[in-house]
Amino acid sequence: MSARDSDHDCPQLADAAVYVLGALEQDELTRYREHLSGCAQCRAEVAGLQSVADELPASAPPAVASPALRERILTTVRAEAALLSAAGHEADRPAKPMVRWRPRGGLALGIGAAAAAGLAALVAVLIAVGSAGHAKVTVTAGEGLGRARSAQVSLRQRDGRAELVVAHMPQPALGRIYEVWLSHGPHDARPTNALFSVTGDGSAAVGVPDSLDGVREVMVTSEPAGGSRHPTTSPLIRVALPS
Amino acid sequence: MARLRRASASSKEKLRKLADEELMERVAGNDADAFEVVLERHADAAFSLAYRICGRRSLAEDIAQEAFLSVWRSGGRYDRARGSVRTWTLGIVHNRAVDALRRTGVHERRRASDEGIEETIEAPERTDSQAFDNAVSEEIRGALGELPAEQRRVIELAYFGGFTHLEIASMLDTPVGTVKGRMRLGLNKLRGHLQGWEAVGA
Repeated sequence: MSARDSDHDCPQLADAAVYVLGALEQDELTRYREHLSGCAQCRAEVAGLQSVADELPASAPPAVASPALRERILTTVRAEAALLSAAGHEADRPAKPMVRWRPRGGLALGIGAAAAAGLAALVAVLIAVGSAGHAKVTVTAGEGLGRARSAQVSLRQRDGRAELVVAHMPQPALGRIYEVWLSHGPHDARPTNALFSVTGDGSAAVGVPDSLDGVREVMVTSEPAGGSRHPTTSPLIRVALPS
Repeated sequence: MARLRRASASSKEKLRKLADEELMERVAGNDADAFEVVLERHADAAFSLAYRICGRRSLAEDIAQEAFLSVWRSGGRYDRARGSVRTWTLGIVHNRAVDALRRTGVHERRRASDEGIEETIEAPERTDSQAFDNAVSEEIRGALGELPAEQRRVIELAYFGGFTHLEIASMLDTPVGTVKGRMRLGLNKLRGHLQGWEAVGA
């Protein structure tokens, strides 16, 4: 049995069963956890009963998860794994023959990036710089992105041409458009003629029309349709390039 | 491409031979193939639990999906000292399912009953592991079935119904202390049963 009934039983011993069944009230839960940290008898009772509660899921009538459900989960996982791989250890590997650059590959990476809410604000992306291999850069999703902090961005460059690939971006507000800016240093934001919206699933692949030589950051802001000469909102996305 | 697929298939076979705990180490290192094997092993159990709790297929799928993505993203936090991968995963499913129930409000909450479950069980191709799961499931259900009805009821209302002990006491018009006592007695009896001996004196 879980605890000896004796004169010395903790008065809260009876709460252990309620706790392992997840049936304490929210405010009780906090207090009970504090209590547990200081009461060995209740901890032992919880440990004993928890092992029983852990078996309860098996009493659910067996049902079969649909192939579609499995596929949805795996699609997200594979996409996130591809991004993390590209951004992480892959990016840190010594230079090797350049991955063949294909716009669609970039797009897939961008979309893959997306779903990870946990990855949201800070996402390392792959930037292919000429033949010099890969360098890790940092993307910061600005505050303006709000709900869409899961937006993902990758920037790729080859033969002096760069492309910004985004996924899970919100649609620009009515009458507005996203504009790409290049910054060469603090308080510098030079407009480009790269204006874009996004597809229904929030993705886009945008060529960056100017050279990235000397560029410290690539930024995206929301601007009135037609674009602006100076940013009128704070950046939704900032891609810091390695110096 | 074909060569890649073959390579991938053979590595999948190797992964299938690993224990869950070893797979989770790989999941923590962002190995999607290892995660796929974890998913293969526990997807049905996770979905079954979510469905048992929330009673709606689409909601149960959402819950299972969220739970597995959480397993994927927090794989590094799995601690084998604190239980099996299945227990950990099902704990996440349980928390999310109960949260979802509570969000919908007490009155919409489904009572803990098996009503309507059977129709959704698709004709599955039974694998050995599913057959094993089913045998375990039968055993636990059998043990629950042998509990005095009032003990089984409070356990099911709490665990599968997502009700708090105060809500259960009010629902059954029973003192809170009695509800707690039934939970404790019931769980102790289940423990005795699952350990292969009958609890005495409970």
